[in-house]
Amino acid sequence: MMSSVPATDKKSKLLVYSIDECPVCAQKTKRAFVVGDYITKDSSKCTKCGNQTRVGLVYAESSKPSG
Amino acid sequence: MPLFPSVALQLSGDAGTLLYIVFFMGIFVFQFAFGTRIQVYFALNEIGRGLSKLKVMKEKSRKEAIDYLVNVGKAPGDPTQRIDQFLDYFTLMPVNLDPQGLVNKIDHIVTTSNDRLRAEVTALVAQNSPVTVSISENLLEVATSLNMMHKLVRHFYILGKKTNSYFTLIQLQMLMPMIIQECDALLNAVDSFKVGQPIGDGIGAVAASRLMMGKEKRAIAKDTVMAITEYKGRKLYVVKADGPMAYVGQPGVAIKKVIEEMGVKPSAIIMIDAVLKLEGEKTGEIAEGVGAAIGGIGVDKFQIEEVATKNKVPLYAILVKQSILEAITVMRKEIAEASEKVVQTLQRVIEEKTKEGDEVLVAGVGNTLGIAQ
Repeated sequence: MMSSVPATDKKSKLLVYSIDECPVCAQKTKRAFVVGDYITKDSSKCTKCGNQTRVGLVYAESSKPSG
Repeated sequence: MPLFPSVALQLSGDAGTLLYIVFFMGIFVFQFAFGTRIQVYFALNEIGRGLSKLKVMKEKSRKEAIDYLVNVGKAPGDPTQRIDQFLDYFTLMPVNLDPQGLVNKIDHIVTTSNDRLRAEVTALVAQNSPVTVSISENLLEVATSLNMMHKLVRHFYILGKKTNSYFTLIQLQMLMPMIIQECDALLNAVDSFKVGQPIGDGIGAVAASRLMMGKEKRAIAKDTVMAITEYKGRKLYVVKADGPMAYVGQPGVAIKKVIEEMGVKPSAIIMIDAVLKLEGEKTGEIAEGVGAAIGGIGVDKFQIEEVATKNKVPLYAILVKQSILEAITVMRKEIAEASEKVVQTLQRVIEEKTKEGDEVLVAGVGNTLGIAQ
């Protein structure tokens, strides 16, 4: 069930990402959405300060560069 | 200038003119006698093509719902027959001859319908975690909507064909692009629902979630939670649907309870929601206004307006613009990134419209799939 590749919307070529936010140093890390992710879910340790990060946002972006 | 110069050259002047007149008279008579029939023919063709698309869409959504119930919900038996029965369920709205108390009747019927849906789904699946059940509910709602849309279009198509009714078919032909667009949006929503991704409509819930983070939450109404927080000396009562389930909750009941049962006297009710943008407007733009920002059938809006009016509490709205497709499919970057601006706007409104020591009610409205608190 778990997928490490970005979920794609075939029609509009959307890639879905989860943004991990560190509540201490506010570092944001963008990674591919994994089934089971939801906003506020605990994620990995912060690469900068080692604190527990949380999923702050989940959003989709077009795979083609805009403009 | 004769239409067919070579023919006209072979005939004397009078005969050529006569032929010319007869030709155009023929076109005129043909147009008069068969014009509408030709248009009906083209309308039927176009509607027929749209109807085929709708059929494919409804079949796909039905299959997706069945697959989800079997693969994720671990339905013990084959749920196909039960789902097919479910697709034909309907909700009869109450009579509106005497409008007094109509909203309460609608509320009662809609609540019964939603409860029944949840009970049916819970009975169907073995893996009955709230997230799985809520996603199954949403998938079934999509399949039911597409099924109903297909049936309605088919009804008017066959009726127009049977009665050869020009006006029925032309109206349907004109509506077809919008119907297809909406159904396409619904079908696209299935992909987001299946994997539990937040949808554009959840932007109000995202903003509320940011305010509730780390605070104690309590259930305030069905599928709805509330947390108390503070901002610059104001006490904020923040309400949202209970995530990460695909719920919209009962913000109307929640706001009513906070004011009437908890005895809170808010200086303002601020609602955050998604709003359908007009063509040409930018996705993720924020609009501010006054009034109860909430869609749906109107029950929650009525309850909020009623309690606000009774207690003379001003209602403010912060809206994030998006298209219907963006509202029901995975949240776009522009919308998600607007959540920070929404919180900033909310803070500004609180500072401008209330003073220290005041109580403020904040409601993040929308489907809270993939958005916990």
